[in-house]
Amino acid sequence: MMILRGVGRASLALYYWAFIVFLFAPLVVIVVFAFNKSSTPVLPIAAFSTRWFELAFANTQLTGALVRSAAIGVATGLFATALGIMSSLGLSASRLRLRAFVVAILLLPLVVPYISLAVGLLILLNELGLQISLWAVFLGHVVIALPFSILVVLPRLRSLDPALVEAARDLGSGEVSAFNLVTLPLLVPSLVSSFLICFITSFDEFAIASFLAPPGLPTYPVFLYAGSRTPALLPELIAIGSIIIVASLVIVVMAEGGRRWAEQRLIGQTAPAAENVSMLASDA
Amino acid sequence: MGGEVRLVKLVKQFGSFSAVDGINLTIPAGTFFSLLGPSGCGKTTTLRLVAGFEQPTSGEVLLDGVDLAGTPPNKRNVNTVFQSYALFPHLKVFDNVAFGLRRAGVDRAQITRRVGEILDQVQLSRFASRKPAQLSGGQQQRVALARALVLKPAVLLLDEPLGALDAKLRRQLQLELKALQEQVGITFFYVTHDQEEAITMSDQIAVMNSGHVEQVASPREIYEEPSTAFVADFLGVSNLIEAQATGPSGDGVALQLGPGITVEADRGDVAARGAVKVVIRPERIRIEPEGATGTNRVAAVVTRSVYLGNGARVIMQLVTGQSIVALAQNADDDDAPTWSPGVRVTCSIPPAAIRVLPVGAPRSDQPVSAP
Repeated sequence: MMILRGVGRASLALYYWAFIVFLFAPLVVIVVFAFNKSSTPVLPIAAFSTRWFELAFANTQLTGALVRSAAIGVATGLFATALGIMSSLGLSASRLRLRAFVVAILLLPLVVPYISLAVGLLILLNELGLQISLWAVFLGHVVIALPFSILVVLPRLRSLDPALVEAARDLGSGEVSAFNLVTLPLLVPSLVSSFLICFITSFDEFAIASFLAPPGLPTYPVFLYAGSRTPALLPELIAIGSIIIVASLVIVVMAEGGRRWAEQRLIGQTAPAAENVSMLASDA
Repeated sequence: MGGEVRLVKLVKQFGSFSAVDGINLTIPAGTFFSLLGPSGCGKTTTLRLVAGFEQPTSGEVLLDGVDLAGTPPNKRNVNTVFQSYALFPHLKVFDNVAFGLRRAGVDRAQITRRVGEILDQVQLSRFASRKPAQLSGGQQQRVALARALVLKPAVLLLDEPLGALDAKLRRQLQLELKALQEQVGITFFYVTHDQEEAITMSDQIAVMNSGHVEQVASPREIYEEPSTAFVADFLGVSNLIEAQATGPSGDGVALQLGPGITVEADRGDVAARGAVKVVIRPERIRIEPEGATGTNRVAAVVTRSVYLGNGARVIMQLVTGQSIVALAQNADDDDAPTWSPGVRVTCSIPPAAIRVLPVGAPRSDQPVSAP
């Protein structure tokens, strides 16, 4: 019995570590080779060097692509989150006809392959007589980011007591002011999450950007894909890749920490039950 | 100072369901008025119609004679204390209470003064800079009350505001609420399903049942003289008995409880004849030894008795078959009888303790005027 349990525990540990390695080994490889002096990413490591970082930041094509992706990412995060608030308000209305249909339409970009969306957008732009541009990339990214925003904001909105808005109305607020003073501040934690998820969705996106970004103005994933076929550029891409991995880690940790901090500031610390009772007793 | 609410033929339908089914009600200015009924009877919907959160399907809500139809909640001179309190979790106690004053554009100095005063009044001054989540349930309840009262509304609407509190705190706050209402003189329109709460606090009670008003009266009258079987039952009368009204007897009516067993009833609809329902207050029934004679006495057997501390609830079966409950006070002497099951006794029921309910209960579609 004890032996069996020992075997079970050992295989569980083995599975766990195999899983961790499977997930993180590629990331570790990137970070390790970013500091390799050799121009080809093969073992053994020749020597420690930061020259690929220096070269990467001197490469204006590369940094230009990074800035474009960051700008489109921020714009997508803001715009998709704003649309996400509006959609969520609409979806949580008590009387909404064809609710299931509206939800299906709004969440459709989650299941439609991005490549199909990209082709569709390209044809649409042509028919409208418009040029492909970074604006088109931005609009495409808003379409694919919106479902994520709704999936983050709507549950938060649903969790708010409907009586809160009624209380604001009862105390003299119009509909708009009740939203601004009560609903919006209480949504803030979910809006931060929504912004970050939409930003990452846009920053990472390749298919739509590769169709809609104009020649000479690639977003970072598009530049990366093209550059990975140029062996001379590979070490620089690995160096930037390692920076993005670390930055992502920092953002994720900050997002969770920031959400808790905001929640804390928003609602205040909940007093433990025992303290509540004694407060009551001294008060009565 | 105003604050009279009149509901005229008020109807609210949700789809084909009538939550409020033609209510006529006058809530006199400056009174503590309770709407009492089981859950789902339409009492909260009625309150929401007055607050403006729901629009009536038909009928009118009048505040001091002015129809409120089309006036949004933020323009009505009424304020609400919600069942869930609905305190703004992101605002401190002070800002919660100041919320309405700020919307009304009151200047800063006056806001500070008025919020300070009302927080003093509900004994929460030292919690002004806390968030609602840092307060106990009873304190949150008082913040909700202060937040509404600071605006000096003509009518304060309260939707089961004590429902979430434990029994001891609830009883304490009942008395505080009543004292507060008398102090501020504002009309309190109070919705509750708790009959004890309504009786303790109210000047007037309207008992509601499935969308209509069964009876409007003072607590004493509601309790002592329920006009329908529903009111009697809901107010916790244990003895609702069927009998035959056979003819006049003394000042009242002769009631046949069973073959050869007739008692006299002096209260209620003494002109009724035929099958009637009667209400007998448990505390008015005297339990006498077996064989006691006289009028309005019926032989019975004790089936169960429950010790209540200050007395006992004795459940008996009358010789005519009906079950009846009596409240027996503790006697001073030690050799007082004990009511163990199987003991044969005589129930003495004074004619004034028996109330004949009117056949065909009055419905709210006939105008009900508050006395």
